[in-house]
Amino acid sequence: MKEFYRNISDALSMLDGLEQDLNIRHFTPNELKVFYTIIIRAAHNEHGSNITDIVENSGMSRSTVYKTLKKLSLEKIINLHQSEEDGRESIVVLNS
Amino acid sequence: MKNFLSLSLTSFLFSSVLWVLWHFIDTHVLFLAGKGGLFYLPHAARVLCVVYFGWKAIPSLYLGELIGPNVIDPGMYSFSILVPSLISVISVPLSLVLLNSLGFSLGQTRASPLNKRNYKHILLITFISAGFNALLVNLYLSRNNLSFSSAITDIEQVSAFLIGDILGATIVFILLAYLLKPVLRQARNQ
Repeated sequence: MKEFYRNISDALSMLDGLEQDLNIRHFTPNELKVFYTIIIRAAHNEHGSNITDIVENSGMSRSTVYKTLKKLSLEKIINLHQSEEDGRESIVVLNS
Repeated sequence: MKNFLSLSLTSFLFSSVLWVLWHFIDTHVLFLAGKGGLFYLPHAARVLCVVYFGWKAIPSLYLGELIGPNVIDPGMYSFSILVPSLISVISVPLSLVLLNSLGFSLGQTRASPLNKRNYKHILLITFISAGFNALLVNLYLSRNNLSFSSAITDIEQVSAFLIGDILGATIVFILLAYLLKPVLRQARNQ
């Protein structure tokens, strides 16, 4: 019986690798809207867009955008850099 | 014995459920009806069960292959599927034997040339076994002058088998990864 569970565990490890590589993660509709906004903005500006732009274009509140950016950053989907022009502003860059 | 029963029951259920699901989509889902050959889901059961449970899974997989077309939809094929089903199940161990003879033995560590825990290696086994299945089943059909009711046994059918098995198995792998996401996440955090 132990062998059976070991085999199942090996199969789950394989699926785990697939899940990680496919980035199958759960996002709420609001988070997806913010994410899509980042992608659309990235198409216009490859150097990244600032958070104010994302707030204005997504139609979401600043706090929702901040929470989403934190989640995306933790999952290594985006990178956040401090703007060279305005130290108070952060620049969002999509990870390739 | 307990292990054999567990893996036999798992393989049989997995294979049968995938066949029923595939058959339902092929016959009832409007835009996919009649196109089931392009996404043959049960090939995933053949690959996963043989890779993870070994040769012991072959009898139950074979039974699972036979049960759908013989019990659920007996008029589905105009010929006996006893031999084609056996060839389909055997296609996976055959690909493992081929890989083993080339020096890629199956194991479960990073050092193994063929790692059970690496989905890319499982996909390689899926591709090779789909190739064996497509070639050998169609060879058997053409040698015995057998064909499906709406098709002729030709190179197009070989390609359809190949694509169908690869696509079907890949869809099941992705679906499983998505459906088992909470379990996988919990296991990762432990």
